[in-house]
Amino acid sequence: MKLLKPSWVSHNGKPIFSVDIHPDGTKFATGGQGEDSGKVMIWNMAPVLREEDEKNENIPKMLCQMDNHLACVNCVRWSNNGLYLASGGDDKLVMVWKRAALIGPSTVFGSSSKLANVEQWRCVTILRNHTGDVMDVAWSPHDVWLASCSVDNTIVIWNARKFPEMVTCLRGHTGLVKGLTWDPVGKYIASQADDHSLKVWRTVDWQMDANITKPFSECGGTTHVLRLSWSPDGQYLVSAHAMNNSGPTAQIVERDGWKTNMDFVGHRKAVTVVKFNPKIFKKKQKNGSSPKPSCPYCCCAVGSKDRSLSVWLTSLKRPLVVIHDLFDKSIMDISWTLTGLGMLVCSMDGTVAYLDFSLDELGDPLSEEEKNTIHQNIYGKSLAITNTEVQLSTTIIENPEMLKYQQERQNSAQTNVGAAAAGPESAAPKVNSVMNGESLEDIRKNLLKKQVETRTADGRRRITPLCIAQLDTGDFSPALFNSAPILPSGSSLSNQLAPQLNSDSSPGQPASLGLRPSQDGVLTSPPANSGAKGPEDDRDGLKSSLLLTSASKIEPMKALDSRFTERSKATPGVPSAISSTAGLTPLERPKDGVSALKEVKTKEETSSDSEDKMAAINKNLSFAKRKPELLLDGGEVVEKRKKGRPRKDKMAATIAQPFTQVRSGKRVSFLSRHSYGAARPEQEVTRSLCSAGRLQITPPPPEREPSRAAAPPPPAAVLRLPTPSPQKAFSLQVSMEPSVFLEVENEMSMVAGSKLSQLRCSRDGRDWNTLLPSSVLVAAGSSDVLAVVCDDRMMSVFSCCGRRLLPAIQLASPISALHCSAHFVMALTAGAALSVWDVQRQKALVRNESLQPLLSGADTTVSQSMLTQQGVPVIGLSNGKSYCFSLSLETWTLVADKGDSLVQCADFRSCLPSQDAAASSGPLAVVQGRNLNAGRLASRLSSTPHHLQQSMTLAFLENQLASALTLQSSQEYRHWLLIYARFLVNEGSEYRLRELCKELLGPVHKSASSSWQPATLGLHKRELLREVLPVIGENLRFQRLFTEYQDQLELLRLK
Amino acid sequence: MAKVQVLNVAVLDNPSPFGNPFQFEITFECMEDLPEDLEWKIIYVGSAESEEYDQVLDSVLVGPVPAGRHMFVFQADAPNTGLIPETDAVGVTVVLITCTYRGQEFIRIGYYVNNEYTDPELRENPPLKPDYSQLQRNILASNPRVTRFHINWEGLADKMEDSENVDPSPNISGMLPPPCIPGKMPALGQMPDNSMDCL
Repeated sequence: MKLLKPSWVSHNGKPIFSVDIHPDGTKFATGGQGEDSGKVMIWNMAPVLREEDEKNENIPKMLCQMDNHLACVNCVRWSNNGLYLASGGDDKLVMVWKRAALIGPSTVFGSSSKLANVEQWRCVTILRNHTGDVMDVAWSPHDVWLASCSVDNTIVIWNARKFPEMVTCLRGHTGLVKGLTWDPVGKYIASQADDHSLKVWRTVDWQMDANITKPFSECGGTTHVLRLSWSPDGQYLVSAHAMNNSGPTAQIVERDGWKTNMDFVGHRKAVTVVKFNPKIFKKKQKNGSSPKPSCPYCCCAVGSKDRSLSVWLTSLKRPLVVIHDLFDKSIMDISWTLTGLGMLVCSMDGTVAYLDFSLDELGDPLSEEEKNTIHQNIYGKSLAITNTEVQLSTTIIENPEMLKYQQERQNSAQTNVGAAAAGPESAAPKVNSVMNGESLEDIRKNLLKKQVETRTADGRRRITPLCIAQLDTGDFSPALFNSAPILPSGSSLSNQLAPQLNSDSSPGQPASLGLRPSQDGVLTSPPANSGAKGPEDDRDGLKSSLLLTSASKIEPMKALDSRFTERSKATPGVPSAISSTAGLTPLERPKDGVSALKEVKTKEETSSDSEDKMAAINKNLSFAKRKPELLLDGGEVVEKRKKGRPRKDKMAATIAQPFTQVRSGKRVSFLSRHSYGAARPEQEVTRSLCSAGRLQITPPPPEREPSRAAAPPPPAAVLRLPTPSPQKAFSLQVSMEPSVFLEVENEMSMVAGSKLSQLRCSRDGRDWNTLLPSSVLVAAGSSDVLAVVCDDRMMSVFSCCGRRLLPAIQLASPISALHCSAHFVMALTAGAALSVWDVQRQKALVRNESLQPLLSGADTTVSQSMLTQQGVPVIGLSNGKSYCFSLSLETWTLVADKGDSLVQCADFRSCLPSQDAAASSGPLAVVQGRNLNAGRLASRLSSTPHHLQQSMTLAFLENQLASALTLQSSQEYRHWLLIYARFLVNEGSEYRLRELCKELLGPVHKSASSSWQPATLGLHKRELLREVLPVIGENLRFQRLFTEYQDQLELLRLK
Repeated sequence: MAKVQVLNVAVLDNPSPFGNPFQFEITFECMEDLPEDLEWKIIYVGSAESEEYDQVLDSVLVGPVPAGRHMFVFQADAPNTGLIPETDAVGVTVVLITCTYRGQEFIRIGYYVNNEYTDPELRENPPLKPDYSQLQRNILASNPRVTRFHINWEGLADKMEDSENVDPSPNISGMLPPPCIPGKMPALGQMPDNSMDCL
């Protein structure tokens, strides 16, 4: 036996908690503590194995390091196929890593060590479910499942072929679960916990098969880990820390009856880790000795807190070797090479040792075939032998359809793995395809010219970054963004990117710039504190020492050094928000300075600055803010804006455009530089109103005009909703495909003393325009219709070619929001009444429906409004509730409530489909906001019983289904239906599942009395059932249900 | 974990006259599609002594950011010389590039900047009032100083972040991991005496 401690394998002296050798033996991973995070490192094996490689500077030792875990990494494990690395840590996460082949070596930018990451390993999925530190992870044979255990007392089984899907959560331990091992034939998984028990679980139905407590009753919970191990022949399970006659042992548990008659004794302190050699051995035939057939045996390494390591052969009564004082601290993990001759051991002291055995010492390893024969003799055909067989080996599949389906699943999983295996080699040319033939150098040369730069509503620069490589995210992560080749011209690139933005238009983003008042222009980009520079100081101290002659002589200075690491007061978002909002939210201004400062203070994390420095900043901020205030605000203007403007801003940011156009709205450039609103006093606005009125109402003006002037603004009490203010000109993009732009120029020409407004529309390069007698307040459009409302409350509707479709419609009160979608037009008036017209059928769908019942609270107001493609109006209120007016029920229905506790507690993440694109852009998603923080609070509620959370999730999912139905959003309905079905399958609620199937299938025989509709929202229910059935088929428990409906569907199909 | 990793920052047009705009070519990688824009800032530290003289040269929004590797050039005008203390105009200072997501700074990249006269005559006898037209700016591009901050990428209220960082409440079946900073060695007192010499 040879022993080596490669000193270069270290986490800078920090403890190493886990080590695992890659199945191909060329590299190994270590996990442990990093500087201020957890750390996973991947090392080259060659320098460990061969001295000349260790000395060769050209052979890298460290291949990759990942600091992504937020806290200490307790376990790293390679998948059996070697493609993935799983790591679990104190941050409660399990991360699965995959090698990204298309990206070459890179350093960690800015890191002091110039060591390059030779290989790029990238986190392809993060598995979140545990509510406590993850202590151990284990891949099942053939990588069907990944198991993780945690101090939250649970074991989670993940579907390793469909991350992040969760198969099940094994509950039963009453203490911290600290070790996991799979039965090599795939029938069981065993776990050991601090609750003085070792439990064996069946993989068929995930129920507990055995609970072994006796050998552990004397144990204290003192070991960091309890890594148990299963022998390669499957006959023995060896526990970590057990006690026998008050001495620490490693308990041997026989598979046959889970008997506990034997143990490994001799360690002086608790056993932390047991690891079987993956090989089965037989006695080495020595020359001359009689070739008598000997029993095959296994080899097992045991590591302990007593810092010693023992290696045992099951054929010997005494250990093969015991090594004391190999480390300064407890042994934490052991990993054998697949050849069975090498072993890496890591310790809490931050070092690693490599042991190299010879065949003479261990014996002759059996070949894989011989091992399989042994398995076959003992277990019959097992998972371990038959690669492609269904993992649920002992359940009888009763139905050929089910079998077929299961096999298909298996095959597709196999091909996926195959494709992934081919990845590393084939991926390299991918970079080129992304680059479209251009080299990176070419791109870099022209990047500044080429990159797309736009201005947001508040005048800020927005750069669209150039995508130079997609992430090689492997087969599981949802790759929404599929390809964005770099195109010759920047604008076309942005066009191409825009549709993919679907998930980007969060309410905080300005969605409809066309409606924005232009005072923003004033604030284009004043540096946050440029106005606040005090008089210059006469400090001379540093200057002389700073007169350097060349850059190379620059020496770090303490005063500047602190600036590198401290979040400056000028940056953490708050002051910048001030600079950009100073002119926009005058309402909040008086207290802003104080509150902003408070925020700065609370946000400060790293700074240790003195009080007076803070005070200086304080001055800075308030001064900087006051300046624009003086600039912009005249007395009565402030008054006026206090009433209308702030809310209007909010509206402009959140409302407008039906959901399909929200994205396009973002890119609208803001044409007008002068408009009414902020800078001009109110009289001017009224004057324009009057002049517009005069044009329409011909003689005699003297009598009519006063009444008209008085009429438009109805009593303030009635006006529940804010109205947009008139602008000189504005434009908006109505749709992307075909690209339609609307431009409005008010009072563009004077005819006979009255002013005309022009509406210009360009569609795919073809223009039309029309004139309106009064100035246009709002405009909206879809690919089918365009609508404008003028300040005389007249609404006009045009076809996409400029034909007037309806005579002008007189609205009851001034317009508040206007939307078009498909051939529907929706108007929300300031009097809080809503109307929707179907222009195609020239029919009202919703007639002046009052929002009063919704706006019950004193300060509730409309924060968002929207019209779906199906003509369903949706109103979002400031209290977080969203309502839609159900056309069939003729009433308001609640479709979303952000404060709903169900939303926050529902945890269905494990049921999310991996390809989740469709649902993120539907109206329901828009209404509910992107962060459907499903299950975010769920982890906080971990103390709530499981069944409670289950019921909440169920209730939530059913709400979602009902809402999607009301919104007539078929894609979302389908999406939630599938999630719902999967959840029912996971949770095993057969009752509801059956009812769901029944509803989808409908009556098999036609009968006149049945009111069953074959389709919902244009989706055929039976088609939906066809999609749901495979989900049901994933749980063998429901195979009867699967069979039943599969048969009936088949029957119906044949009819 | 951070969803955005800065892979490289190349300092373009360096060294250059003091009045030239700053240009940084920034390459970053994003783990998953970001629903909101990143905000990048260039901050010029006018004086080592006080943050009072910091100038935010410019700030840009960068987006949309889908998963993948991206690059862009961030160009910002040279600092306003009127706001730099005369005594600090010549010599070493710092320029910072920061990036925030949802208003939270998660990375700060700092470079030393050396401003000096190219003319040896001026170098020997610098004028009292700095002559910015003669100054050359040299960014020490080879030595970036990078500080990363943990932020809440999910963008819920800060409270949320706090609650996530709190250990699971003790009432979860009364089991808590042993206090394990940083080496995770349980305190000596807790170690039961289960060591026994073997015979």
